[in-house]
Amino acid sequence: MTTVGPGPAPVTTPVEQTDWVAALSIPGPLQERALVELHALLLRAARRQVQRMGLRATHVAEELANQAADEALMTLLGKLHTFEGRSRFTTWAYKFAVLQAATAVRTLAWQDREIHLDGLDLVPDGRPGPGHYAEAVDLAQALRAAVDTELTSHQRRIVIALLVDEVPIDVLAQRLGTNRNALYKALHDARKRLRAHLRETGFLDDQAGKP
Amino acid sequence: MNMQDRPLGPDILARLTVNTEPWLSCDDCFRHVDEYVERLLAGATDPMPAMRVHLRACPACAEEAQTVLELAAEDAGVAVPAVEWQ
Ligand SMILES: [Zn+2]
Repeated sequence: MTTVGPGPAPVTTPVEQTDWVAALSIPGPLQERALVELHALLLRAARRQVQRMGLRATHVAEELANQAADEALMTLLGKLHTFEGRSRFTTWAYKFAVLQAATAVRTLAWQDREIHLDGLDLVPDGRPGPGHYAEAVDLAQALRAAVDTELTSHQRRIVIALLVDEVPIDVLAQRLGTNRNALYKALHDARKRLRAHLRETGFLDDQAGKP
Repeated sequence: MNMQDRPLGPDILARLTVNTEPWLSCDDCFRHVDEYVERLLAGATDPMPAMRVHLRACPACAEEAQTVLELAAEDAGVAVPAVEWQ
């Protein structure tokens, strides 16, 4: 059942998104019911995200999903005035629980893992595809050099952590005391520099759009 | 200095050089993701190019967008479309 919502109608009747905002905004029995239904909806979204990320259906996973739904509910209520009706209210609501759950799973998965941000060396993979050996090694060497010479030390650390070591962006943000946006911006700037360098050195043809 | 060797395979090369223009932040991606998935479900092929670019380049946003897409597809009673970011 996914179309239930707050309102005087029976719970099986689909309601318009405007009903959700109104029901959640005005204190009373309708608001109480809307809060219960919204929490159930957020819990469904959080559980789905937890599953997607490979956390088995255990007590820990269930607790994590419940906590994510609780926190998402608080965040969503604080942003209720920003809902513009560009999507269904339910779709808009899901994303808060999904973000909360995803971040919690990543944090849990990395809580005991160290992230090495100092000292790095990139070596071309010794197993390039058949027929592309020379090309792949050349590109890898050009990129390795570009990472060393074209990036700032901050960009280099972020590139290695996020793109090579595959540290999740929100986990890295927590460790560095920054946020996802700032890291993605640093990554964007670094990729731009790398692409510019590859273009100058003939490894990237922008007409083709890829190296 | 403790240098660590990291193999630079094809996947990493692609990740290092992906074109992330036009620029879109993770916050903006979050802001638009609900509208974006609904437009995809309505049959649009490339409703917001900057979203497509961001989701291809940002695995965290992509694995979240995929869940929102699936949930919205269930609500709309339609199949989950194949998307570029996965
Ligand atoms: Zn992102």
